[in-house]
Amino acid sequence: MFDPMANAPPLWSNGPTPGSFYNFPGPQTKPNDHFTHSQSPVTTATSIVALAYDKGIMIAGDLLASYGSLARYRNCPRIMEVNDNILLGAGGDYADFQYVKSFIEQKIIDEECLDDGIKLKPKSLYCWLTRVMYQRRNKFDPLWNNLVIGGIQDGTPFLGTVDKLGTAYTDRAICTGYGAHIALPMIRDAIEKKAQPLTQAEARALIEKSLEVLFYRDARSYPKYQLGIIDQDEGVKIEGPLSVSQNWNIATIIKSV
Amino acid sequence: MSILAYNGGAMVAMKGENCVSIATDRRFGIQAQTIATNFEKVFQMGPHLYVGLPGLATDTQTVMEKLRFRKNLYELKENRLMSPKVFAAMLSNLLYEKRFGPFFVEPVVAGLMPKTYEPYICNMDLIGCINPPNDFVVGGTASAQLYGMCEALWEPNLGPEDLFETTSQALINAFDRDAISGWGATVYIIEKDKVTIKNLKTRMD
Amino acid sequence: MFATENAYYPDYSTKPIQHSFSPYADNGGSVVAIAGDDFVVVGADTRLSAGFSIYTREQNKLFPLSNTTVLGCSGCWCDTLTLTRILKSRMQMYHQEHNKVMSTTACAQMLSTMLYYKRFFPYYISNILVGLDNEGKGCIYSYDPIGHCEKTTYRAGGSAGALLQPLLDNQIGQKNLTKVSAESITQEKALAILKDVFISAAERDIYTGDNVMINIITKDGIKEDNFELRKD
Repeated sequence: MFDPMANAPPLWSNGPTPGSFYNFPGPQTKPNDHFTHSQSPVTTATSIVALAYDKGIMIAGDLLASYGSLARYRNCPRIMEVNDNILLGAGGDYADFQYVKSFIEQKIIDEECLDDGIKLKPKSLYCWLTRVMYQRRNKFDPLWNNLVIGGIQDGTPFLGTVDKLGTAYTDRAICTGYGAHIALPMIRDAIEKKAQPLTQAEARALIEKSLEVLFYRDARSYPKYQLGIIDQDEGVKIEGPLSVSQNWNIATIIKSV
Repeated sequence: MSILAYNGGAMVAMKGENCVSIATDRRFGIQAQTIATNFEKVFQMGPHLYVGLPGLATDTQTVMEKLRFRKNLYELKENRLMSPKVFAAMLSNLLYEKRFGPFFVEPVVAGLMPKTYEPYICNMDLIGCINPPNDFVVGGTASAQLYGMCEALWEPNLGPEDLFETTSQALINAFDRDAISGWGATVYIIEKDKVTIKNLKTRMD
Repeated sequence: MFATENAYYPDYSTKPIQHSFSPYADNGGSVVAIAGDDFVVVGADTRLSAGFSIYTREQNKLFPLSNTTVLGCSGCWCDTLTLTRILKSRMQMYHQEHNKVMSTTACAQMLSTMLYYKRFFPYYISNILVGLDNEGKGCIYSYDPIGHCEKTTYRAGGSAGALLQPLLDNQIGQKNLTKVSAESITQEKALAILKDVFISAAERDIYTGDNVMINIITKDGIKEDNFELRKD
């Protein structure tokens, strides 16, 4: 009559079953939509190309913000002058960059209000952004950006980067996105071939060449760009909009097989 | 878990001075459970030709039978021995026939070319991509460990004795760090006028 | 025509590309440590990579925690940055609370606890902690990502761990050898083996290369050394 091994029937139809959990009727909240709500990039900017030269840092990025494959916004600056010794460049989601930009600007204002004459240093901003990005990844709600921080600290150029996970490193040359595949090998090659650090003119030529090649091969790139320079003697400036020098003459030579 | 790692097993072949070696472990298991410690994975296919078939044990035996059949047919037709190079090409072809439903084996071929007695080794992936290097080849579930061992221990122009020592040390130390390989080892040293087969005592845990 | 849903040819799919977020990255790197009677050497390659790209060729992965303790990290770099920063502050807090430097053994226990604290959202790092114990002997502690800890005299970890550990078993642990020497390993031999194993690893592991940073820890402090690996 009563088998203790068998499962008891529900007390009434769709009602609770003795010995098992009761699922209330109605829409179920699954724990996994905690993961699926985490976003993906929407309006995106492509590569950042940055390198250190003997007296400073140069960061370049084009002005295009793409909506998927659509070249949607064609005048979106993404090199930011944080203060007079820090430059910030960003790739990835443009809205997230605007958010990052706004809270960095607020941070600078807060600092100005203290009026103690102490200014944010490049390494401090780099370290702080590392923590911001890492905390957002821990919340599964990342800021979908690659940030490149350049500046001069204690008389030496500093160049570092942070990605959406909080992965951070410093190097003499940093490129993100397609730049990491196309421009960075060219830049590393030029740096290694020369024993001394590059001069500003050489760095500029290298960046111009990199952006030209990127424009030929990266379908999400754009010929209009900005170039941020931070120099020991000349201070910080953002040039642009500049134009990539294009030469499509070779295009007629290329034949598809 | 990958089907290639269902039964476990480790395999290595090395080139020496006028000799080649091929060595394997002896375990047959089903996942973590060891069933037998006398399982054959290396097969003689000619007087100076051996093939090792680590991977899924059922495919080891099936592929071995198919290979023997095709090799015998070749030798009857051509009335000459099959060289290791031809054998490897034949094996590669056999595996690629099953490109979209492969045999789960990662073969290793070792032998001496007929007449010249030039050493030949190669290995391939489960669909028959041949890799014939000048030093050593590895296969099976301990391949990462074997790469580390061989890369450090192997040197050019090893004589038969040194080749035996190098191969054995590489294999044993590698499979001791793999949970599903080991339980004894067999080493074949193939020379022009003799083939030496040695069963090695190893740790059995 | 290609089937639109064909998983074999993702490049030809007409569906929108799904970006899914993974909080972890494998940034590669290998760490090898060898302990002797009065010293311990630890080496880590300096390549930081992700997939097929090399982020930088000069990333130090050895973190000195005190004059007698060094931590070597490989795996997810953003977790490494976080963990080492917390460790550094924990070292300082201990120093200020107890007015002494934390011993290697205490560091080892603390690291295990810190890793297990994040049991359900782990730091994806393979850690190797080396140092001198209270008697001045070299010691090595190796960890899994969630805090399992083992004390050893030699260890290889990271992306080439599987390649190198059997080699160390053979060359330092003298496993499967008939002639076993009773003498303990010298600093020169440990360094020579360390360099050799990294050269071997760089041949077959794409995540190991560029340079090796070595720390030699003795009672006189930490000495740094550096040597080059292949860069391709």
